[in-house]
Amino acid sequence: MAHETEHTSNHPSFNQYVVIAIILFAITIVEFGIIWDKIGIEDDLGAAVIPILIGLSAIKFAIVIMYYMHLKFDHRLFGTVFVSGLVLSFLVGGALLALFISFDGEPREYAIANAVPYEGHEASEAAEGHEDADAGSDTPVAAGPVALAVGAVGETLAFSETSITATSGSEVTITFDNPSSNNQHNLVIVQDGTKDAVATDGTTAGPANDWVAPGDARVVANTALLAPGTSGDVTFTAPAPGTYQFVCTFPGHNFTMFGDFIVR
Amino acid sequence: MAHAAEHEYTTTGLSHRKMLMWVFLGSDCLFFGALIATYMVYRGQSLVGPYPVDIIDVPLTTVSTFVLLMSSFAMVQALAATQADNKKALVTWLLVTAGLGVIFIGFQIYEFNAFKNEGLTLGGNLFGATFFTLTGFHGAHVTLGIIWLLAMAYIGSKGRLGPNTALDVELLGLYWHFVDIVWIVIFTLLYLIGGFDAGPASLPGG
Repeated sequence: MAHETEHTSNHPSFNQYVVIAIILFAITIVEFGIIWDKIGIEDDLGAAVIPILIGLSAIKFAIVIMYYMHLKFDHRLFGTVFVSGLVLSFLVGGALLALFISFDGEPREYAIANAVPYEGHEASEAAEGHEDADAGSDTPVAAGPVALAVGAVGETLAFSETSITATSGSEVTITFDNPSSNNQHNLVIVQDGTKDAVATDGTTAGPANDWVAPGDARVVANTALLAPGTSGDVTFTAPAPGTYQFVCTFPGHNFTMFGDFIVR
Repeated sequence: MAHAAEHEYTTTGLSHRKMLMWVFLGSDCLFFGALIATYMVYRGQSLVGPYPVDIIDVPLTTVSTFVLLMSSFAMVQALAATQADNKKALVTWLLVTAGLGVIFIGFQIYEFNAFKNEGLTLGGNLFGATFFTLTGFHGAHVTLGIIWLLAMAYIGSKGRLGPNTALDVELLGLYWHFVDIVWIVIFTLLYLIGGFDAGPASLPGG
């Protein structure tokens, strides 16, 4: 370690600054190379990529602080003050991450349970407004074998209908039209009050099962998972009279994207 | 003023102004640390697109990262020229630094606009909210630095910068390099590592 002094006379020379710039340049090239190789190609480095990238950026970070910001040559107290803030920032950031994400990389249970989908605020307001607008109009009623149509509201996480009605024992075909250009949706008819529980189990079942747990007794019927801009239908016999729910079980959508299925 | 400040009496024997800058940079670590940690907490949690993999352009941002790294090199040359009392060179290097900063901001404006056109907004999903907040505050820091650099270049062009006022340029340099190292972290986490993140279906265990 060089003799430390607060005088500026032993700052790096022009040539040394050029060398430092080239080193920083080269490290960035290496970082980019690692990532570029990753696209579409089986990655030889595997899980080591992230520690390597973090290590390389830490080296760049240290070089800039030590040489460009002269901490290597400056009084130790400046470095102590700065590094204190840096360490504190790591501790606070680490604590925040640990609060929400467990050590195996999964979100913590209470974080999932208490999570309010970010889009939910706007979408639920839109859904309420929609309900008010529809309050006076007739809801579709099916008496015999009949087709009901339900859509989604653009990019909003909401169905176009808040309530549909059918007669018990009739053969009902619900056609669900997904007009979104981004979002996948499905439509699942479930027992009253079970929409969130069904969606949670659906999330576990994954997209291969259309986000619906196979053999879930609370599920009356469901459409397939619909890609953006497609539609699909489901035909089933309307169950015993009572109130049921229809819901999209794509993860997160169930909080705002649901309605009542009333059987008379 | 600045001349007197360099010879002021302090209990530590160190310049108060320089200490203030380092304390500020230490506290700014906490500011960006909080924003970065928030991005990482919400990473991969967006329920709707666009997702990073859809829109992040790593090659483009690698170029703008080079530009910012080179601006740090220009900044140390500006300080060296000030200490060497080379008035013409110090103004030139300050302007080069500011120019590279402007190019970086130009890349960011282009990127933000392209992302907006792809549907990414501050209120659209968690990725948009955390991405724009973090990179936007960094861009604001760069913009402030550019204004500071141009002001310093103007003072320098009036012949009022030299070895006795080198601390003025040094403090500006500390701020500018700090903005550079913050970008080193953002580039690694948001672009190199997080730039290929997709939606909830690809989450581990999802």
